[in-house]
Amino acid sequence: MAQQKQTLLERRYSMLGLMLIAPTVLVFCAVIVYPLISAIYLSLFQIYTPTLAGNWVGLDNYTELLATGEFWTSLRTNLIWTVGTLTLQIVFGVGMALVLHQNIWFRSLARSLILFPYFISTVVAVLVWKWLFNDLYGILNHLMMGAGLIDFPIDYLGTMPNALISVILVGAWKYFPFVVIAVLARLQSIPEQLYEAARIDGAGPIARFFDVTLPQLREVLVVIVMLRAIWDFKEFDLIFLLTGGGPVTSTQTLPLLVYKEAFALNQMGMASAYAVIMMLLMLVFMILYIRRTKSEGS
Amino acid sequence: MNRSQMTTSISRRGALKGFAATTALAGLPLRAFAQEATIRWWSPQGAPAQVDAYKIQIANFEAANPGVKVVFETTSDEGYAPQLAAAFSSGEVPDIVTHLPSFAVQSYYAAGLVAPFNDVIEMIGPDDFYEGANDVFKAADGNYVGTGIGNSAANMLWLRTDLMEAAGVGKAPETWDELRAACQAMQKDGIYGAPLPYGANSMTTLIFAGVIHQAGGQVFDTDLNVALDSQETRDALEFYGSMRELCPPGATNYSWGEAITAFVSGATATGIYTGRVLGNVAEQNPSIADHVTCVKYPTKSADIPAWTFNDFPSVFIPAQSQNIDIAKKFAASLFNPDGYIQQLHAAPGHVLPVLKSINENPAYQANEIIQKYPAEVDLMSSAAAGGYNLGYESSEHPSNDKAGEVVGSGLIAEMVQRVILNGENVDQVIGETAKGIEAIMKG
Repeated sequence: MAQQKQTLLERRYSMLGLMLIAPTVLVFCAVIVYPLISAIYLSLFQIYTPTLAGNWVGLDNYTELLATGEFWTSLRTNLIWTVGTLTLQIVFGVGMALVLHQNIWFRSLARSLILFPYFISTVVAVLVWKWLFNDLYGILNHLMMGAGLIDFPIDYLGTMPNALISVILVGAWKYFPFVVIAVLARLQSIPEQLYEAARIDGAGPIARFFDVTLPQLREVLVVIVMLRAIWDFKEFDLIFLLTGGGPVTSTQTLPLLVYKEAFALNQMGMASAYAVIMMLLMLVFMILYIRRTKSEGS
Repeated sequence: MNRSQMTTSISRRGALKGFAATTALAGLPLRAFAQEATIRWWSPQGAPAQVDAYKIQIANFEAANPGVKVVFETTSDEGYAPQLAAAFSSGEVPDIVTHLPSFAVQSYYAAGLVAPFNDVIEMIGPDDFYEGANDVFKAADGNYVGTGIGNSAANMLWLRTDLMEAAGVGKAPETWDELRAACQAMQKDGIYGAPLPYGANSMTTLIFAGVIHQAGGQVFDTDLNVALDSQETRDALEFYGSMRELCPPGATNYSWGEAITAFVSGATATGIYTGRVLGNVAEQNPSIADHVTCVKYPTKSADIPAWTFNDFPSVFIPAQSQNIDIAKKFAASLFNPDGYIQQLHAAPGHVLPVLKSINENPAYQANEIIQKYPAEVDLMSSAAAGGYNLGYESSEHPSNDKAGEVVGSGLIAEMVQRVILNGENVDQVIGETAKGIEAIMKG
């Protein structure tokens, strides 16, 4: 039987629906689709950034970037940074959330203060850390030399592997409060009966953590890891301000390479090609995240 | 159609419409002239005292030009290139830019992004400039791309005479060997020898380009072919590497700010910077003010002449500015004696005058720091007047409009880091750096 003809009311409802979602679709196109297509389009040209004048080169930018060692070393650094800082964020975040979940003195104050690193601007955070790391006046070197641990100041940001370790540590300090907030919220909703049952079965604190707490946190941790992995992978300001990608290119991640191509070398086309490759890499994380949230929803 | 017919064909409504349209058209030019113009002024020189001086210059100009507003915005020595690249590509450009090195202006002019500056130089008075002061701003087409708002001697060797005396260093070093020996003698009791930059930044590039010249070499030959692969570059790298142990550990990340702070605070026995040192010492560490002097940076051997790095701090007007005429007027006003002297006094010895009349002006000479250090200021003035930079390596070199991109690429700083910090093969690194610079020159 042929499809039933829509009534006038149904057609009007359909029109109303379209009209209601139209603003969202328009905004989506303006802020997501247009820049995306624009970046892909630009990546097919050789473009001088200040004038935006350029010529068509097809896929040459992609073949060139994949052939250069700088892309692969930056990708490697990007992965080390992401995995390193994310691991520390999770460890510190879960640990701190467990502490703040206990009945400790000034718990409310502590819960507020712990968010401090996450809330302050990256520029301020980097300035503070650069002073802490300073070779001549930094408190870290001063204390260590005072305690007799070192004879000469440590160069935290100018030599490897110190620079990468320092960047990872500052990144972990800056972003672990996000993990604390999310994990603490989940901890507060774990039924107390589970812990009581575990105690009756003779489980100690460590066993209760691994057998009760951790399985209950699994869902939220998966979402945190995926979100933070996406955000950390494209981190720019913290690394740029701390080391500028140096020494040489030892802490240069892909976002810094995009910036260098676009604004130091004035090669907007090549920068766009790097950005498109970065987007494809992040797409992996996004697909995993979308699949995860879909399965949770169902 | 006769006259009577024409008259009768115009209706009252039509006449009113015509009247309204005529009134609107007549009003347009009036509104355009009455429209307020806002001039955006960018500069990387934004120390508080300098900004105070700029405010006075702005207030004077605004008072003389009602309806015009000037807004000062600070950029930075390391950040101006990306900021201007973004500004040029978006079309949201400042109307006037000051204190950028001359080679950057030449690069922008070659890309058609800068307006010719000839008439501003005429407004200031071309005869008042020191002889040859504007040569560095002359483009291949014969136009001037900008002019100098000052001179700077950016790689002066600053010395602590009290530490020299205590270490038995009898005279200011003139050669690299003497400099190294002096730094070794003075490096003790928590004080380091020198604050040379080894960071991945433009200071390392610009200072090391000078070190190549101090070895008798050059980055480009007089036909602007890359001339980096030379024994002189190897000697420069060897000297720079030998100085590493005489610098603070954090010098691997040093740029201009860290380098001056290290000397002014007393953490290093020598320094490398412009005359800003004098003002900073007086303000931040007056206890060493009587023991500070400067000389031209030493060379590999006494027969090699000194090479002073002058970035020729400029003033220029982006071609996309919507207020070019007013911006030119404002640019010329920056050289009015009262405001210009105040601007120079904001960082005495740091930005040196480019106009003869200003240098001879008693009001300029009346500054406390200029009076306290006459020999140093005279030396910096003469060194800066005979100074060069990567875009203008010698009087035989034509202006290099790719120098800005060579500096921005960081290739020379990267070469320094790879050889000195990473210990990579010198020949291979120099070869790769030369190829990278050649690619920029061809691009």
